[in-house]
Amino acid sequence: MKVKSNKKAQEEMVGFALIIIIVAVIIIIFLGFSLSKSPKENVESYEVDSFIQAFLQYTTDCSDNIEFLSIQKLIFACSRGESCKDERGACSVLETTLNGIVKESWKIENRPIEGYKLTIKSNGADVLNMDRGNVTKNYKGSVQDFSRSGNSIEILFTAYY
Amino acid sequence: MIKIVLKIVNYGEKIKMISRKKKGQMKTKKLKTSKSKILTVPEISKSKKISKISSFHLSRKSKGQMKIQQMAFMLMAVTLFFVLAGIFILIVKFSGLKESASELEERNAMLLVTKLANSPEFACGSAFGSTRINCVDLDKVMMLKENIAKYKGFWSVSNIEIRKIYPKLEGDINCNLGNYNECNLIRIYDTLVTGYDMSTFISLCRKDSFEGETYDKCELAIISASYEEK
Repeated sequence: MKVKSNKKAQEEMVGFALIIIIVAVIIIIFLGFSLSKSPKENVESYEVDSFIQAFLQYTTDCSDNIEFLSIQKLIFACSRGESCKDERGACSVLETTLNGIVKESWKIENRPIEGYKLTIKSNGADVLNMDRGNVTKNYKGSVQDFSRSGNSIEILFTAYY
Repeated sequence: MIKIVLKIVNYGEKIKMISRKKKGQMKTKKLKTSKSKILTVPEISKSKKISKISSFHLSRKSKGQMKIQQMAFMLMAVTLFFVLAGIFILIVKFSGLKESASELEERNAMLLVTKLANSPEFACGSAFGSTRINCVDLDKVMMLKENIAKYKGFWSVSNIEIRKIYPKLEGDINCNLGNYNECNLIRIYDTLVTGYDMSTFISLCRKDSFEGETYDKCELAIISASYEEK
């Protein structure tokens, strides 16, 4: 009789302990979920998207016989191997201008940016390849495609942070 | 035949009699035992039995009471535990309320800044050839700055700022109607906000002239919506 009651008490204690452990685990999981906040992103996707959209409209100092060319038009001119009115190569102006734009826009020194990579392809072939800084596992990228008279252009920009 | 029927009837009566007798015996037995418990002086063996029965009854009763007490305490403990846990969760939640309000404002700023450049007050529209995305008309912005009193509270932000980033100019040169071709900073509201801001890249376009001819000039800029920190 005594042994039986002892055993019963032990079983109850074990059960109570189990309940406490289960409840504690549930509370810890709940607290973990409620306290963990999504870390703030250093670079947002819309920033990379808007950057490509904005730099494509930039007016360069390279002109043809009609107007000053935008970056978008300069990319087509470069892929066709054309030159500006002042005899500078379209590709050279494109590279200089884009280099300045990206350097000023994604400052590695001040921002939490580790590096960036800009690639422009025309019909699958590289027109321009520009990278700076370190390649990290955290990055935001965007792709912009457009085409004109059978010439397909692909712009890919990736910011590493 | 009649004899057989009579025998069956007699047999049935006998059975009834026996059962009545047994019931009677049972009743007398019960009466005897009850009487012996109350009236007669109990024999040693009998008294032992009775004492055993009573102690057994008592222990069962106290055990039941104990169980009820245990359950009551357990219920109280569980209720107390959940009340304390609830208070703790509420404290944690309310302590983060200010932060979540700030986060919400930041999110609103982000949403605003992504659509601000394409709103009619800023967007280029078809002024520079085809319709452009993320294109801000500098002439529109300058006019908006001049008439900002009419837009008080329209965007629910502390300030909207446009800063040219390429081509680069040294220092901050505030734009006004006299110098807006050679400046790099436009504050829609004149207040300097010490809070947080969200920004996005835009193309800042205007009409310029070269050798007497007008052309569209677009530069790279960032537009920021700022909020005061609460």
